Amino acid sequence: MSADKTKPLTKVLCCLSDLEDGEARGFDPFKIGRDTVFVVRRSDKVYAYRDVCPHYGSTPLPWKKNAYLTRDAQHIFCSAHGATFDIETGTCTLGPCLGQSLTSVQIAISQAGEIRLFLEPEEGPIRTPVATG
Amino acid sequence: MKIVGPDELVFGVDSVEACAAFITDFGLKHVGEKDGSGLYEALDGTGLSIYPKDDPSLPPPLPTSNMLRKTIYGVEDQQTLDQIKDELSKDRQVQVRPDGTVEAVDDLGFALGFRITRRRKLTLLPERINSPGAAPQRGFNEIGANEDAAALPRTLSHVVYFVPDAAKMEAFYIQRLGFAVMDRFTGGGPFLRPASNTDHHTLFLIQTPEYMKGIEHFAFHMQGPTELMLAGSRMVKKGYQSFWGPGRHKFGSNWFWYFNSPMGTHAEFDADMDVFNDKWEPRVLPMRTEHSQIFLLEHREKWAPGG
Ligand code: FES
Repeated sequence: MSADKTKPLTKVLCCLSDLEDGEARGFDPFKIGRDTVFVVRRSDKVYAYRDVCPHYGSTPLPWKKNAYLTRDAQHIFCSAHGATFDIETGTCTLGPCLGQSLTSVQIAISQAGEIRLFLEPEEGPIRTPVATG
Repeated sequence: MKIVGPDELVFGVDSVEACAAFITDFGLKHVGEKDGSGLYEALDGTGLSIYPKDDPSLPPPLPTSNMLRKTIYGVEDQQTLDQIKDELSKDRQVQVRPDGTVEAVDDLGFALGFRITRRRKLTLLPERINSPGAAPQRGFNEIGANEDAAALPRTLSHVVYFVPDAAKMEAFYIQRLGFAVMDRFTGGGPFLRPASNTDHHTLFLIQTPEYMKGIEHFAFHMQGPTELMLAGSRMVKKGYQSFWGPGRHKFGSNWFWYFNSPMGTHAEFDADMDVFNDKWEPRVLPMRTEHSQIFLLEHREKWAPGG
């Protein structure tokens, strides 16, 4: 049976209410054994990115499960060489990938408050930046 | 000049609490000051010290995201300290702290300290293996896979910097401080060791743009590959993020396993590095992934939050 082409595939990451304001969380939606996308909640908006730092282009950001933010929770932080990123735009503001950006992934928040990740079945998360929330 | 190697790396960090948790789980012991600030030691007394980034006792930060604020080298004796002071005083400000530590900055502004080494001499067992065709190294009934082994970092091995002018830095460390080049990556930089250390490198330089300037990583030597794997596996189980490894490097031959850290640099367990004397002819290779490792056994276990 082929999937309904008109209906994009999505996967629930968690519920908005699971996240506190200013909290980040990583997910392993493709079950590869480590987190590959992460979300950051800021009031009622949620920003979602691939867990890949643009500096080396293939390595993860956090130093520990879910540790994606600076202590004041004002920036995304890559703990490999300390790059900091703007939460809203994903742009690196200080550090080795200055001016480059994290890759956003498309999510939507359903009526029921679920944070859903849009999927391209073969390739993983859809990478087009989309405003959410 | 009788420089032994890095004794202590001083960090000014965003979160002292996060660093305290990470470093303790990495296997260093908190021996100084309080509330997570102060010194964390490997078995031989080398280590890391951690302060809040606005601590007034720290040298000024580089204008990048770097959190390393000072590299303190251990030297053999007072005579060496005096030599370094005289040499560096020729063209820069040199300070002598009340404890005798000589301080200056290198040619690209990385803060340096020099003091008589605090390394304690270690007398410990090496990793012992049983290899066909050779006498067994473990006795009868002696088990190799000891899950309960402490697997603690033994000594601070090396530090790696991103530098905007690798040639200038190489010249400084060779001509002014008596380091020697062991091997070199073209397009990357040199692996350097000081005169009183036989390890393949205690300093490696990587050429980068100015805005990357800072520490790339640091490493501690473990007993051998087995304890490295044990220590790394424990980090993964506690929810820490593997950055690269485990694997084995080509230059230096050291086994490696790198972990992201809240000090804004990755932290490496290493083991079984080559040692050299003055007879060695440096190898030169282009800096490419196939030259950075002879193999990689990437870790693919599930996250296990905690720790
Ligand atoms: S890999 Fe993220 S800052 Fe270098």
